[in-house]
Amino acid sequence: MHELNWGLPVILYLFLGGMGAGSGAVSAYVFLRNGDGNFPASNFRLARWGALAAPPLVIIGTGMIVFELGTFQVALQTLDFSLFFRFINLFKVINLSPMSIGSWVLALFILVSIVYAYTFIGKNAQSGDQLHSLRKLLAWAMVPLGIGVALYTGILLGAMPGRPFWNSPLLALLFMVSALSTGVAGILLLRALFGHKHMVNAENFERNSYMLASSDLVLIALEAGVLVLFLIFAHLTVGNVHAAVSVILGGELTTYFWLGFVILGLLIPAAIELKYILPALLRREQFSIPRNMEIIVCALVLIGGFMLRYIVVTAGQVTGPVGI
Amino acid sequence: MSEGKELSRRGAIKVLGAGSAAAAASVVAPAAASTAERTKRYAMVIDTRKCVGCHACSVSCKAENDVPLGETRSWVEYVEKGDFPDVRRSFLPRLCNQCENPQCVSVCPTGATYKRKEDGIVVVDSDVCIGCKYCLQSCPYGMRFINPKTGTADKCDFCLHRVEKGMVPACVNTCQGRARIFGDLNDPDSEVSKVIRTNATTVLRPDMGTGPMVYYIDADHTDERDAEKLGTYVRVETHRRQQKRV
Repeated sequence: MHELNWGLPVILYLFLGGMGAGSGAVSAYVFLRNGDGNFPASNFRLARWGALAAPPLVIIGTGMIVFELGTFQVALQTLDFSLFFRFINLFKVINLSPMSIGSWVLALFILVSIVYAYTFIGKNAQSGDQLHSLRKLLAWAMVPLGIGVALYTGILLGAMPGRPFWNSPLLALLFMVSALSTGVAGILLLRALFGHKHMVNAENFERNSYMLASSDLVLIALEAGVLVLFLIFAHLTVGNVHAAVSVILGGELTTYFWLGFVILGLLIPAAIELKYILPALLRREQFSIPRNMEIIVCALVLIGGFMLRYIVVTAGQVTGPVGI
Repeated sequence: MSEGKELSRRGAIKVLGAGSAAAAASVVAPAAASTAERTKRYAMVIDTRKCVGCHACSVSCKAENDVPLGETRSWVEYVEKGDFPDVRRSFLPRLCNQCENPQCVSVCPTGATYKRKEDGIVVVDSDVCIGCKYCLQSCPYGMRFINPKTGTADKCDFCLHRVEKGMVPACVNTCQGRARIFGDLNDPDSEVSKVIRTNATTVLRPDMGTGPMVYYIDADHTDERDAEKLGTYVRVETHRRQQKRV
């Protein structure tokens, strides 16, 4: 059996970091689109959930990858103080390694997202308050930084011919779409769990639910499309990539992939969302989704996002180039 | 001066006087040549016909480099194939290929691992490395590991500490059958250059585009995954903790 040099901490980072980056980017985008008016249809409160979710998710995820570092592990055993902070070396240089650029983007995202979240935290935080211009400025930075954090992990994995399962430009796209999808699901979940208590305007709340659910559906569809392309191109080629991708097309990870990711994480949540969105979309009916159902859909999307990272990280390491 | 020498000197000058110094190269060249600081490109040829699989190289590597228990910088794989009486067992000694285009170097986020300009050896600076394992993932040959003592990436470095003092790597020194030949490819008169010129050689996984500097003569490239295609029994023993080839 092959050894997994990157284990659960890295998988969790890819999941949590992606979700945090996604929710941050979505929050900033929604805020910039329609968050600065104080009218009933304002998306300010919606943007707030995403802004508050982003920093803790990304920071916990980043903590995970620091924990996975070889030097940090030795530091834990020997209590060598200098080794705990060896990761600072990442920020002494910048080179063309995807991990180097990614680390800088990630660090910037964390800093910006903390300040961005801070502008939403105050009890009287609302559109047009004294933090408004700062909030707007940060939102402009949050969108590209969030996309960057969501994107770079796929580029990082995809840059190695020696790991044929990962060696596809589509992986970055798959990770980014999944990050946005889990980000939207995260915001929806937070609203479903805690948003009802502080609901200001029921009609606007449902309107935002509709917007989020339908965006999530579009993102899931996009994700499925990218996934199909990923599989088709891997399957049509010969040699290393073809052999590697067979691990999810009949190999040892097939069940995890089809049951855990495709069915549980993509098809079922998409079907449920479709059931509630279609009447509103086609017959202009009032969109309403039971709170429990909303929670289930979000949980499924998040499980799917985790499974995707789990399967990709594992599959890439149990497969390799063919022959010697 | 022979044509080969002229060519290699020109190659050396090219490396030394890269970029803006190109104009000054004609002035610098005589001085550079006279100080004997010519750029080297170390390479190794392993003549598997002379290898008996005695593991002396693996053992000497362990001792020389104080490689921690459970880890390997150098090892010998046994490749068994066929059904009696049509059988063959081959030996495939493995070590870092010191690639011309090392993937491990291009992915390193801290610059801790780099290919030395003066001799082409790929090294890891354990004072800079953070142990992110990106290079472990990127190496198509599975040469790298995390040293459990330092937490940093580790691998074969052609026994740099010996080579710098004019000695050959420990595995070359200890090889009973003289299966390993080590030397400078930029020197056309070196044994390694001559052996490569006069033999059919192969490298491992050339499709990875890494340009390995470890060459093999008469190596059996059979892998366990080829068993079905060959329609016969194939078994590869790696003789390291990792029971499967990477």
